[in-house]
Amino acid sequence: MPLQTLPREKTTPRFTVLVLLLSLLAGLCAVGIVFLTYGVNPFFAIYEIFRSSFGSAFGFKETLTKAIPLIFIGSGLALAYKAKFWNIGAESQLLWGAIFATWIGLNWGPHLPGPVIIPLMFLGGFIGGALWGIIPAVFKVKFGINEVISTLMLNYVAAEFVKYLVVGPWKGATKYGYPYTDDLPDHAILKLMEYSRISIPLLIFSVLVALTLCFVVYRTRFGYEVRVIGENSEAGKYAGIDFFKTTVLMMAISGGVAGLAGVGELTAIHKHLSYPETISAGYGFTAIIVAWLGRLNPGFAILSGLFFAGIIVGGDAIQMSMGLPAATVNVFNGLILVFLIMGDFLLSHRIVYKRRAK
Amino acid sequence: MKKLQTVLLAALMLLMSGMLFASGGQEAPAAEDGMEKVKAGFVYIGPAGDFGWTYAHDQGRLFAEAELPWLETITVESVPEGDAVRFIDRMVQEQKCDVIFTTSFGYMDDTVAVAAKYPDVKFYHASGFKRTPNMGTYMGDMYQIYYLNGLIAGAMTKSNKIGYVAAFPIPELFRHMNAFALGIKEVNPEATVSVKWIYAWYGPDKAREASEALIAEGCDVLGFTEDTPTVVEVAQEHMDKGNEVYALSHYSPMQSYGEDACVTGQLTDWGVLYKQMLMDYKANPEADLTNYDLLWLMKENAVELGGTWEDKINPKYVDTLKGIAVDSADFGSISVYDLVMKRYEQMDAGRDVFDPFTGPIYDQAGNMTIAEGEVASIGHLFADMMYQVDNFITPLPQQ
Repeated sequence: MPLQTLPREKTTPRFTVLVLLLSLLAGLCAVGIVFLTYGVNPFFAIYEIFRSSFGSAFGFKETLTKAIPLIFIGSGLALAYKAKFWNIGAESQLLWGAIFATWIGLNWGPHLPGPVIIPLMFLGGFIGGALWGIIPAVFKVKFGINEVISTLMLNYVAAEFVKYLVVGPWKGATKYGYPYTDDLPDHAILKLMEYSRISIPLLIFSVLVALTLCFVVYRTRFGYEVRVIGENSEAGKYAGIDFFKTTVLMMAISGGVAGLAGVGELTAIHKHLSYPETISAGYGFTAIIVAWLGRLNPGFAILSGLFFAGIIVGGDAIQMSMGLPAATVNVFNGLILVFLIMGDFLLSHRIVYKRRAK
Repeated sequence: MKKLQTVLLAALMLLMSGMLFASGGQEAPAAEDGMEKVKAGFVYIGPAGDFGWTYAHDQGRLFAEAELPWLETITVESVPEGDAVRFIDRMVQEQKCDVIFTTSFGYMDDTVAVAAKYPDVKFYHASGFKRTPNMGTYMGDMYQIYYLNGLIAGAMTKSNKIGYVAAFPIPELFRHMNAFALGIKEVNPEATVSVKWIYAWYGPDKAREASEALIAEGCDVLGFTEDTPTVVEVAQEHMDKGNEVYALSHYSPMQSYGEDACVTGQLTDWGVLYKQMLMDYKANPEADLTNYDLLWLMKENAVELGGTWEDKINPKYVDTLKGIAVDSADFGSISVYDLVMKRYEQMDAGRDVFDPFTGPIYDQAGNMTIAEGEVASIGHLFADMMYQVDNFITPLPQQ
C-alpha cells in the first residue's frame, strides 16, 4: 500500500476546527448525493433545512424545543465519552427518567403544589436515569463486560418495560384504550412560552447543566480522573484512581442528565407516558453525534445540540415542502456522524503517501 | 499535503457558493392564474407508501388534487400520535394551510387543541367523534364490509379458528372486529375468533409475529387492522408451502401480495370524501363545523368489498363459495356467495334495510349490549363499543 497511517502527535486548535468543518462539509456533500437521487436539488434542500430551522422565527422556536433534550443528553454523554466509556444507552436512561417522573407526578402530583412537585419529578428523573446508567458501569468495572453491548441492549429492556407499563398497569382510564398513562395534573406540567413548545426555565436548566458539566470535567479532581481514565488508564492505575468509584459516579451523572431530558420531554411536551419511540424520538442516539461534534466538551454540546436540533426541524420542513420521506433526516444524521468520525481519525492520524521505492 | 488541503478547501468553497446561488433560484412559484387557492395539509400516521391506511388517504388526496384545480396540498408522514402538534404548528404558521386533515384516531385531542389555538383554520379529523366550531369529522367506515368479509371467512375456515391481528383497542377496532365476528357467526356458529393486539398502526414486524403466532395456534383465516400488507404476505407464504391459510386485504387493494391467500377484503375510497369536504369548505369557508360529520358507508360509495377494485371476491374462490350452502334466517338455504351478494345489495341501500348490528347482540360476558330487534345507534358504534361479541375467545386487553 502506498498510503500509510501514522499517529499524529500534535494538533493545533485551528487545525481541529478546520478538520471539523471539512468533515461537516464532506458530510453535507454526501447527503447532497442522496437528495440528488431523489430528484431534489441538493443545494436547495440543504439551504431549506437551515432556512427553516434557523432562518425563521417559528423554525427557531422548534429548534430550541428539540435542542433541550439534546443538550442535556449530549453534555452527559460527553462526560462519559471523555473516559472512553461508550454509553450508547442514553435512550433508555431518558426513558427511566420519564418513568420515575411519571410515577411521582401521577401519585404525588394531586397532593402537592406545583413548585414542589416539579422539582421532585426532576430529582426522581435524575435518580431513575442514574440508576440505569450505573448498571453497565458496574458490569464493566466488576465483570469486564463491554459497555457498548450492555448499554445498547439495556435500551431494549427499558423500551419494552415502558411498553409494558403503558399497555398494562399504568394504562390511562381517559385514553380510549390507547397505550398512554393519564395526563399529569395541570400544575405538574411546565408552562410554555406562547406560540411555542419551549419552557424557558427548562432551556436555562439544560444550558446550566451543560456548563456545570464542562466545569466538572476541566476544573475538578473528579473531572481530571475521568480524563485520565480515558486517555491513559494504566497511568490512572498507578496514580491511585479508584476506577470503580469514578466510573460509577460518572455514569450516574451521565445517565442522570439523560433522565432529566426524559422528565423535560414528559412535563413540557407529552404530559403523559406513552410509547418509548414517542417519548424520545431517538434523542439518545442523536445526542451521540451531538457529543461527538462538540469534541466531547460538555460546554460545546450546547452549540452542537442546537445544530442537530436544527437538522431535525429542517427535516420536518423539507418533508412538508418538498415531499421527501420522513427517513431523510436519519440518513442525514447518519452520514454526518460517519464523516465526523472519519474526521476524528484524521485528527489523530497522519496519512502519508509513499512512493514505491524501486 | 498542504497543497491538497488548499485544493480541497477551494473546491468546497465553490460548492458552497453554488449552493447559495441555487437556493436563490427556486424561491416562490410563479404567479397564480386569478383563482383563489385553497391549501390543505394532510397529517399521516404512517409512511405514504405503507400500502394500507395512509396509502389510501394519499390516493384520496391525489384524487382531490386532480379533481379540484384550486387545491394545493402538502403532506407530512409518520407523525406519531401525541406529537402531531409540532407538525400542525408548522403547517399553519409556516406553510399557511387553510385546511388541515388529521388522519388517525389518536390525533383527536391534539386536533381539538390546535383547533382552539388557530380559530381561522379549519380542521377535519378522520374517525373521531369530537367536534368544535372549526373542527369537523369524517370517516369512510367499512364495518359493513367487515361483516361481508366475516361471512366469507366463516365459510372458508376448516379449523373453525379465525385469527385477527389488531392495532389498538379503540371503538373503531371493536366495531370492525365485531361486525366481522357477526358475519362469521351467521354462516358458522361453531367458529371462534382469536385476537392478537400489536399496539401499532404501522408495524410490519409485529404484524408478522402476530400472524405467525395465530397460524401456529391453528387459525386458517386472518383478518387484520395494520397498515401494511404483511398479514396477506404471511398467509401467502404459508399457501406456497402447501399450508392452507387465507387472509383478508385491508384498506388498499392487497390481493397482489397474496394471489392465492387473499380471498377478499375491505377497500376505502377517501377521494370522494376529501373532494366533498374541500368543496364544502370552498363554498363557505366560514361555516360552523360543530355538526359537520361525514360518515360515509356503503350507500355513499366510500367503501367497497374486495382485495382489488375489480373483483369483489378473488375469482379463484368464487366457485368454492358458490358451492357452500348455509341456512339463512332471511333467505332460507342459500350459497355463501349469493348470501354475500344479497347482503351487499341490502346494505348498499342503506342502514335501514339491513345492518349487521341488529340485536340481540351479546358481549363475551353474556350481557346483552344491543336489544332484540334494535339497530345499534351511531353513537354506540363509534364511541361506546368497547367490547367483543360472544364468539371471540381471547379476553379484552387490560383496560
